[in-house]
Amino acid sequence: MSEPILEVRDLKLHYFTSKGAVRALDGLSFDLARGETLGLVGESGCGKTTTGVALLGMPSPPGRIVGGSIVIDGTQIVGLPDHELRKNVRWSKISMVFQGAMNCLTPVYTIRELMVETYRVHCGPEALDTERHVNMAKLEALMEKYVRLVGLSESVLGRYPHELSGGMKQRVVIAMALFLEPKVIVMDEPTTALDVIVQAQILNLIKALKRDLGLSYIFITHDLSTEAEIADRVMVMYAGKMAELGSSEDIFGAAEGRKGPAHPYTQMLLASTPRLHKRVSELAFIPGSPPDLIAPPSGCRFSPRCPFAKTKCRQLDPPMHELGAGHLVACWKAMEDSEYERS
Amino acid sequence: MKACDGLQDFREFWAEFRQEKTGLVGLGILVIFILLGLFGSFIVPFKDADKHWRDIDYWQDNPQAAPPVWTNAFSSKKGVPSSTLTSFKAEEQSQDSGVVVKTFTFDYPFVYDKPPRDLLVRVPGSGQVPLVISLERPDGLSAEIYREQVELSEGSPERISVTRNCAQSTIEFIRNQDASMANDMNVDLIKPTSILFAKMGTGLLDDPVTLKGDYKIKVKALILTSDFSVGAPSIQVSGHVSGLMGTDASKRDVFTGIILGIRWALIIGILTSVISVVAGVLLGIIAAYFGGVVDWLLSRLYELVYLLPVLPFLIVISAIYKPSIWSMIVLICAFFWTGSFKTVYSMTLQIKEETYIEAARALGSSKWRIVFKHISPILLPYSFASMALSIPAIIVYEASVSLLGLGDSTIVSWGQILESALSQGAMINNLWWWIIPPGLMIALMGMSFAFLGTALDKILHPKLKTR
Amino acid sequence: MNAASAPATAFDTILEVEELRKEFVSHRGLMSVRAVDGVSFSLKRGEILGIVGESGCGKTTTGKLIMRLVEPSSGTIRVEGKDAVGLDREADFAYRRRVQMIFQDPYASMNPHFKIRDVLEEPLLIHDIGTDRAERRRLIEEVMEKVKMTPASDFLDRYPHMLSGGQRQRIAIARTLILRPSIIVADEPVSMIDLSTRAEILHLMKTIQSDMDLSFIYITHDISTARYFTDRIAVMYLGRIVEIGTQDEVIDHPAHPYTKALIEAVCEPESGRVGIMRELKVKGEIPSASDIPSGCRFHPRCIFATDDCAKGPEPELQDLGDGHLQACKRYKDI
Repeated sequence: MSEPILEVRDLKLHYFTSKGAVRALDGLSFDLARGETLGLVGESGCGKTTTGVALLGMPSPPGRIVGGSIVIDGTQIVGLPDHELRKNVRWSKISMVFQGAMNCLTPVYTIRELMVETYRVHCGPEALDTERHVNMAKLEALMEKYVRLVGLSESVLGRYPHELSGGMKQRVVIAMALFLEPKVIVMDEPTTALDVIVQAQILNLIKALKRDLGLSYIFITHDLSTEAEIADRVMVMYAGKMAELGSSEDIFGAAEGRKGPAHPYTQMLLASTPRLHKRVSELAFIPGSPPDLIAPPSGCRFSPRCPFAKTKCRQLDPPMHELGAGHLVACWKAMEDSEYERS
Repeated sequence: MKACDGLQDFREFWAEFRQEKTGLVGLGILVIFILLGLFGSFIVPFKDADKHWRDIDYWQDNPQAAPPVWTNAFSSKKGVPSSTLTSFKAEEQSQDSGVVVKTFTFDYPFVYDKPPRDLLVRVPGSGQVPLVISLERPDGLSAEIYREQVELSEGSPERISVTRNCAQSTIEFIRNQDASMANDMNVDLIKPTSILFAKMGTGLLDDPVTLKGDYKIKVKALILTSDFSVGAPSIQVSGHVSGLMGTDASKRDVFTGIILGIRWALIIGILTSVISVVAGVLLGIIAAYFGGVVDWLLSRLYELVYLLPVLPFLIVISAIYKPSIWSMIVLICAFFWTGSFKTVYSMTLQIKEETYIEAARALGSSKWRIVFKHISPILLPYSFASMALSIPAIIVYEASVSLLGLGDSTIVSWGQILESALSQGAMINNLWWWIIPPGLMIALMGMSFAFLGTALDKILHPKLKTR
Repeated sequence: MNAASAPATAFDTILEVEELRKEFVSHRGLMSVRAVDGVSFSLKRGEILGIVGESGCGKTTTGKLIMRLVEPSSGTIRVEGKDAVGLDREADFAYRRRVQMIFQDPYASMNPHFKIRDVLEEPLLIHDIGTDRAERRRLIEEVMEKVKMTPASDFLDRYPHMLSGGQRQRIAIARTLILRPSIIVADEPVSMIDLSTRAEILHLMKTIQSDMDLSFIYITHDISTARYFTDRIAVMYLGRIVEIGTQDEVIDHPAHPYTKALIEAVCEPESGRVGIMRELKVKGEIPSASDIPSGCRFHPRCIFATDDCAKGPEPELQDLGDGHLQACKRYKDI
């Protein structure tokens, strides 16, 4: 197996608010292999978006990375100053499609101007001024290539954001994340705001890009159904920590006679997702709400809401346990069940 | 329970407000103003000045156009501060004829380089009472400056002015010392006090040097019968310098006027701003929320009033109708409501689109209910800031109108003081103590409200989010 | 007051909408958007009808028309047999007690300066229900129990921002219930709520619906929740209903090409889909509602369209039996 393109070890990120430090990420570890799509799934407040922006070295204030390491393509991100990150990491090694980015395109600039600005910010203004024509031509070629790659015509470059539909804007934003040719793309809820049919079109596009460009993706969403479409491996997050990490079959494969997910949270999430082609008389739901991350509960963070919680769960935080090849879960019950099965 | 939340909200607001230094300065000045406005009458030397501002008799004892007392510190020739001598030594002597002689002796230490402008002796009493007033100088000389029989009445004490009534006796006094000098004196031209308080010697007439020392003023009254009586006299020394801020050309104590003016400035400022902002806010909400014809009418009205220049209009109306201060307040309100109207209008247009307004409509809420229960509370903070910020301009408008002589002359406002200063030649005569205080006060009060309003605005504005 | 709360036992159909149209005309008539372009359906007492469609299809506008937040350009709405268009103030006021709405954004639908107590008391005060404070308090507590927000005293003094999204939506539901309406229009009630709470809210709505025999109009873009919640589904496209029927029929046996495309596009949380392109039975993007295509308005995007589909009048809904109606001319050929 080749080296993973992204390695996160024990990542801790806290938001320092007036009411105390919110422990948004509390010891997250995972790898991203080359050419792989890793899905980050969880509900609001679980830390998936926080993880996404942390990977770009830009936690939103008042957030700060307080521990752990992030290594992208051999470069340690944590501790690098901002100008270093801007020049050598962002958009050259890793880029991001932000949540709701399609609605954040400055309306007074054309798409071309917006993309050129992205280039200037990340490759430094000097790069554009010296040998200007050569760089501009190369840049123009890159922009056209990727605009076509996302299924749009080059004429889009001369248009303004308000002239484009929702689906077209999302394609533009994806092109903006790709055109400087990074190795890792983080996508945060890229299809959530779109209509069903457009969503399917964009998902098809992302699948095609996966196949053709061989890049690595981190796909963040709260929607399990979308994740199942696109992710090779899925990491389920809860309250700033990883609950379960497994392949698409491990997590979603219950229908094909496989065991299905091991963590009660993942199980309940799946059970609470409405299905179109299966009549469900009762949808499961998880009572209660996610914990306060300023003072998280002791032990397993899911224990207050877990129907299987025992005393041990409330006292000790379960470690990541390997159930099978590449299938990790942080749950005492899952651990005990698997050991019981082995014996 | 509502009071508790109000308190909590206020405490949060106060914590933020405390961090705005300029706001605290503004608030501090304002608090001082309010205290002075409420309790000022207790600290001014002339307690009834409010009612008597244009009463000449009330001020007659003051020197005219006298600079403030503390200017003495800066001049080489120290002028006499105006003061009232009220403590005396009383002696009574009954004569065999049944006549009682009452002698009142006043001590007056005199250390100044210039003689007093006048000495005013007030004697209350009743009946026909012969009075003798004499001045004992530190150099031993004694001058009988007044000997008359006067009709005393309790209600209005007899007022004897040395300058006016004792010229002849002063000449006689000099004649006793130096007859030839006395012949050169013209009873109409001499200043009795400058002679009485001057060192004897040559140059007495042209260039007198004051005799410093302890003077005694004796007021002797003869009570002829028991029906007649004489009360406690007092002596007003009319000096060169008077009061904390001097006097104006009509002998009015400027300091008193300024303090009294605070009251009016506050009333005019606060009343006008509250009325005009409340009107502007309500009209703005109504126009934006109701839309249609109501909006059209109010917006045209706004445009019309907004275009009218306030000051010329005020001047014209004041010139024609000579309004009282209350109708002027109404007039200024009629112009000032436009200030808050437009901002509130835009904000309401935004708030109108909020889902919770739609939800209220879905519940069957009437338009008025939405205006008062949903929209107005959101605009309350902005209103407070707006009120504070409009006060400086209002004060200046009133002052300007008063300055042009068109204000309400029955009140004592700073604008009125300025007006009399300019019309009675304060500029030409260099009476700076008359002009600077009112102008300074207008600026100071304007500044305090501006600071306060800006601080309020800074804190409350971010919360002007409609959600 | 009496007419609103008395059960209209004579009417099995509680809501009837016929040829409802709403046209939004911009300044000086330069642009007109036909948001709702001839919609007809009926709702039975105690039934849940889902209106499903993508953005711009007119489902939200339809909901607002039924709520009388917007006046229709033409067409009729009848609630309990009575005409609901062009009502005077009094009738409009009474109408509001019969028809209520749950909004999509649980935070935006409440005034952030109101406490929960005020939010729930407002409808009572507007309609003068409850003789005094204590009575109103009792009614508020009663309705909070229905939405499982107990003990009520824990929540009444809080502000909306102090509650979670799910809790806020429960209060919003409570607010609609307190007037004892007959019809509730729910506009995307769970789309802004967390996945794990979504089911809870839907379950709650279902319970309340059956307990109080309420009739629901459930507007959503998420067909999967419609499957769980509704009895019948109407599919809207560009202002018209293109298919309507029981949810089994519409989802398992879609007749109209657009419905088919919609169903095909929905993702499920099942493995095996990674790397497999989803076949999309539709071309291009939704046109603007100001420029509606001629003939069958779906024809530019329809993979089965012929030249004939672009011509002629708009196809009407055809009955396929069992109350399943669809509006494709070429249904028999496909």
